[in-house]
Amino acid sequence: MLNVKHLGLNYGSGPDILKDVNLSLQPGEMCFLAGPSGSGKSSLLRILLMAQKPTRGSVSLFGRDVTAIAHTEKPLLRRKLGVVFQDFRLIEHLSVFDNVALPLRVKGLKRRDYLGDVKDLLDWVGLGERMDALPETLSGGEKQRAAIARAVISKPDLVLADEPTGNVDSVMAKRLLHLFMELNRGGTTLLIASHDEELMRQSKKRVLRLGDGLVRAA
Amino acid sequence: MKEREGAVFPKSAQPLKTLTAVMAVMCFLAVLAVGALIMINRAVDQWSRGLASEVTVQVKLASGRDADADVAAALALLGVTPGVVSAEAMSRAEAEKLLEPWLGSNGLDKLPVPALIRVTVSQEAPPDFEALSVALKQKVPVAQLDTHRRWEAELRRMAGTLSRLSALVLTMVAGSAALIVASASRAVLASQSSIVEALIMAGAEDRFIADAVGRRFIWAGLGAGVLGLVAGLAVFALLGFFSSGNDGVAQAARGLFHVPKGDARLALISFAAIPVAATVIALLASRLALGRLLRGLS
Repeated sequence: MLNVKHLGLNYGSGPDILKDVNLSLQPGEMCFLAGPSGSGKSSLLRILLMAQKPTRGSVSLFGRDVTAIAHTEKPLLRRKLGVVFQDFRLIEHLSVFDNVALPLRVKGLKRRDYLGDVKDLLDWVGLGERMDALPETLSGGEKQRAAIARAVISKPDLVLADEPTGNVDSVMAKRLLHLFMELNRGGTTLLIASHDEELMRQSKKRVLRLGDGLVRAA
Repeated sequence: MKEREGAVFPKSAQPLKTLTAVMAVMCFLAVLAVGALIMINRAVDQWSRGLASEVTVQVKLASGRDADADVAAALALLGVTPGVVSAEAMSRAEAEKLLEPWLGSNGLDKLPVPALIRVTVSQEAPPDFEALSVALKQKVPVAQLDTHRRWEAELRRMAGTLSRLSALVLTMVAGSAALIVASASRAVLASQSSIVEALIMAGAEDRFIADAVGRRFIWAGLGAGVLGLVAGLAVFALLGFFSSGNDGVAQAARGLFHVPKGDARLALISFAAIPVAATVIALLASRLALGRLLRGLS
């Protein structure tokens, strides 16, 4: 599903942010990417999301080399991905329902086609009563659950999460972990960047450690 | 739950407010340019019609000739010329009044003022002026036909020049509007970068984002066009109906509001075209700019 080989990244003549990253992810797997702040976790995720070009190396996603993909092909490949950010990145003037439905709207689906699915998913993440609320009225945990719902509404093949528990308390972090594990049990492949050691320990999932621009299995 | 899905980009994005204001000013200028052009062309048409329906025969005073007999001979010839509706000799007082603006009134009675014949001609079937001029010269050698064609040609040339200038002004306004829209497109993408990023990450194609932003530009263009049109027409209404004088400008401005008939309809279409043009410019320029900008994003 995901295969990263000899990936390197630096800006201009600056130091290497990523030196020689190698990792692979199998379908149905849930895996953590650990490392301290500034270790390059977000940069690696940006490359996987095709938002950043690496300086060297290759990234194969669903059998396609995303470092050489045409601009017009990126949207179709991104639709196979779900993304969760630490800062949620919900659209402030849209309701929770409309935020979650966004990946379906960009695919061209009509409201009547996705109404039931979005409602069901919002019920599942515990936001069934808040679907008309604007993001600014939600708590941190609610925002992140809305962001997770948006990431998985279109049933992506792979979910990439960048510090999804970074802005919530430890109780909510545990609830979010359970949510991710339930998704994984349902067949969703997940790669979660985190520096929450306790959370990773509780999950009992594979942890890849990023440090000095290299990835090592924990 | 709300019945309809919310617009992806907010209506009140600051660059769009600024764009609407600037484009409204441009549409206002375009309305003024179009209105002035229509007024000039109508005035020239009116003056030309007046000039074309009337010609003058000048009978110069010459020693050894009987001026009254020359005038009578010229009138006789004009009376039988096809296309001449009427011919009437002007009194000396009338002729002096015509010369007053150039020569003043003092001592005019001592000058040898030529006799003038005012000739009204049919506009549908005017006389053959070349043949009439030759016939007059043969019958009354001191008579000269003045058809005012030179003045008419000058008026037409002036109107043509002003029309071309107005077209240039309108083209420059349209071009500037397109550049401002392109610049606003960049500003909207920058100010709404979080939404653009969310859309890109959700798998939105450039066309989807351009459509969503473009819709805002359509409304901005249409709103600006209507605002500019209303403001421009208000200026012409002030000129035509509320100015203290009742000169040609006021009459021409009032003429812009007349019930559609013939070329008046064309005037209304020209005004109505301004908001339409503003909308089309906003749509096309934003699409081109957004397409280029989005291709530059990852």
